[in-house]
Amino acid sequence: MSPTHDHDHAPIEAANEISEFDVLETAIRELAIEKGLFSPEDHRRFMEWAERIGPHGGSRLIARAWLDPEFKQRLLADGTETSKEIGIDWLDPTGTGTPSDFTYFYVLENTPDVHNVIVCTLCSCYPRPVLGQAPEWYKTPHYRRRVVRWPREVLAEFGLHLPLDVEVRVHDSNQKSRFMVMPMRPEGTEGWTEDQLAAIVTRDTMIGVALPRADWTAARSPAATPR
Amino acid sequence: MTLSANNRYPVLMATLRRADPAPPESDRTPAPWEANVQATCECLSWRGTLDNLERRQAEDALGETTYADFPVHTRAAVVTAHSLLARGEISEHELETKMNEVRARFRQA
Repeated sequence: MSPTHDHDHAPIEAANEISEFDVLETAIRELAIEKGLFSPEDHRRFMEWAERIGPHGGSRLIARAWLDPEFKQRLLADGTETSKEIGIDWLDPTGTGTPSDFTYFYVLENTPDVHNVIVCTLCSCYPRPVLGQAPEWYKTPHYRRRVVRWPREVLAEFGLHLPLDVEVRVHDSNQKSRFMVMPMRPEGTEGWTEDQLAAIVTRDTMIGVALPRADWTAARSPAATPR
Repeated sequence: MTLSANNRYPVLMATLRRADPAPPESDRTPAPWEANVQATCECLSWRGTLDNLERRQAEDALGETTYADFPVHTRAAVVTAHSLLARGEISEHELETKMNEVRARFRQA
């Protein structure tokens, strides 16, 4: 162990981490680059962008909409254009060009009578510029296939039990259209700042499988909660 | 092209034979190469070689038939390779040669 690397973790065994799919992935990428299908810079920039993004943009949009009725109307009318007000350009999310699958962004408002939830039945289309990478469960066939058929049952599996008089609308994303849910502002948040509100608008509340609560933020550890 | 009778590319099936047994899909953390595959797919779509929607449709179709033996999380890589082979963007010989080269390079580490 070198003098400058003296912490006590186990040595990393690089050889054990290499799988045949590592080999296949690298081979495909390098061949594509060699043939000019895209550049190393294209790939690097996409990786850098994809690893940086999270649900913060979506949380900011919702918090601002809760505080500013005019912003809310603009967001509901044209999500793509209004996202630019917080620095998110859907037509140029990586800053390097226009990925073919980002075009229209729609924000769906929950009301006392209507609850929205999003899915991509075809694959895993997701509003990445505002919510980051899709959670693994969002990509699974059992979520994709079941939420459109039995939305109340699937939401109940997430712990969200909606009254029967609340209509559940499931929105199926596709290559050109992405959706995000605008949950209702919870009671107990009167007088809160935009930052305070953004902290309680978690990823799942914008997918539609959870509701925001005044006593819960995405930054809190569930394990720190008393039983 | 040396597609077998069931439309499988031997070079891709060899990947499965060499791979270690995978843990269940519900009990695993995505490997770094999976993020690389997604970026490759985005770049291929972005630059017009392989549209994302067509690739995902192929993943569903081939993933439930030709490559049903592959774990779900590997299908994007396998089907992207399959699609590039099928479109003639790369040849089996090129892919096999490149995989041998990459394998040797990685094993030097």
